[in-house]
Amino acid sequence: MLHAEALVDDVVTDVLAAASGDSQAWDRLVERFSSLVWAVARSHRLNDADAADVSQTTWLRLAEHLHRLRQPERVAGWLATTARNEALRTARRAARMVPVDDDFDLLVDQEVHDVDRRILDYERDAALWIAFRALAPPCQRLLRTLMADPAPSYAEVSAALGMPVGSIGPRRARCLERLRSITEGTAASLESEPRMTV
Amino acid sequence: MTEQELDQFMGRLRSIGSRVDPVPPAVMSAARAAFEWRMVDAELAELTYDSWVDDRELAGVRGRGGRRQLTFEAPGLTVEVEVADGAAPGLVGQFVPAHRGTVELRHGTGVLTLAVDDLGRFTAPQFPAGPLSLRCTADAASPVETEWVAV
Repeated sequence: MLHAEALVDDVVTDVLAAASGDSQAWDRLVERFSSLVWAVARSHRLNDADAADVSQTTWLRLAEHLHRLRQPERVAGWLATTARNEALRTARRAARMVPVDDDFDLLVDQEVHDVDRRILDYERDAALWIAFRALAPPCQRLLRTLMADPAPSYAEVSAALGMPVGSIGPRRARCLERLRSITEGTAASLESEPRMTV
Repeated sequence: MTEQELDQFMGRLRSIGSRVDPVPPAVMSAARAAFEWRMVDAELAELTYDSWVDDRELAGVRGRGGRRQLTFEAPGLTVEVEVADGAAPGLVGQFVPAHRGTVELRHGTGVLTLAVDDLGRFTAPQFPAGPLSLRCTADAASPVETEWVAV
């Protein structure tokens, strides 16, 4: 607990320092929370270009709000909320541009096969990632947000997803159980490729 | 799974996620560079209307193209903007109430300076798609900056 309090103190110090012009303090905030902002954008199933725009817009908004933040200790939640709002805006905008059904999943499946397989060290990790992509969207959204590194607090996840804090633990458990059951199925079917059913 | 097993499983997933889908270096650089756009002398004009998000009548309409209306409001000045859609959008805008002045159109990688005419109107040629903010100075009033929004 002491450790967590020290981290919060560091973050508050950095927010206040950045607000008065310290760019190194800003860089430390970026270092610490860029993964969270990226995870929130990705959890809304945005492609590379849209997720990059959401991330940049979120950080520009923080820069303009730094000296207006009433609770600097909650900057991570502020970033998560802002990224979520901007991701929803972008997703709705993108939906207007797509003439037919969303084929993002097909694209992702293709990427999983072509690219991720080469990146991942172990076949079982590949199987787990494929299983993750096969989860229902609400579970993917929750787990992708929780994948931010360092691990986000449930308060931050709550801000990122607009979901009560108390529901996150139980939902996480259900989604991970579901993921494990899919993984077992995927691992079995990977052995019998090319007839893979996810 | 026990609580400990859940934590371990989540940790493994986080480790895979950070290898498969890390924050791209260009995204990190853009986040660091956002600090350079920070200005503390201006009033903030909030985004209060976005036709592509708020317009229910058009919610079911799909298709490429079209213009997007954005409204930003600060206590003394409202800025209405219409953005042409595309990889290199352009825009027309209007100060309400009408004032002469200048607009600095900031698009994340650069700035365009635009003149505002007697009727409060301004026009921008094409600029790169991405985050956009307008720093507006009407007559002798103190500057107003619109919230950043991706276009």
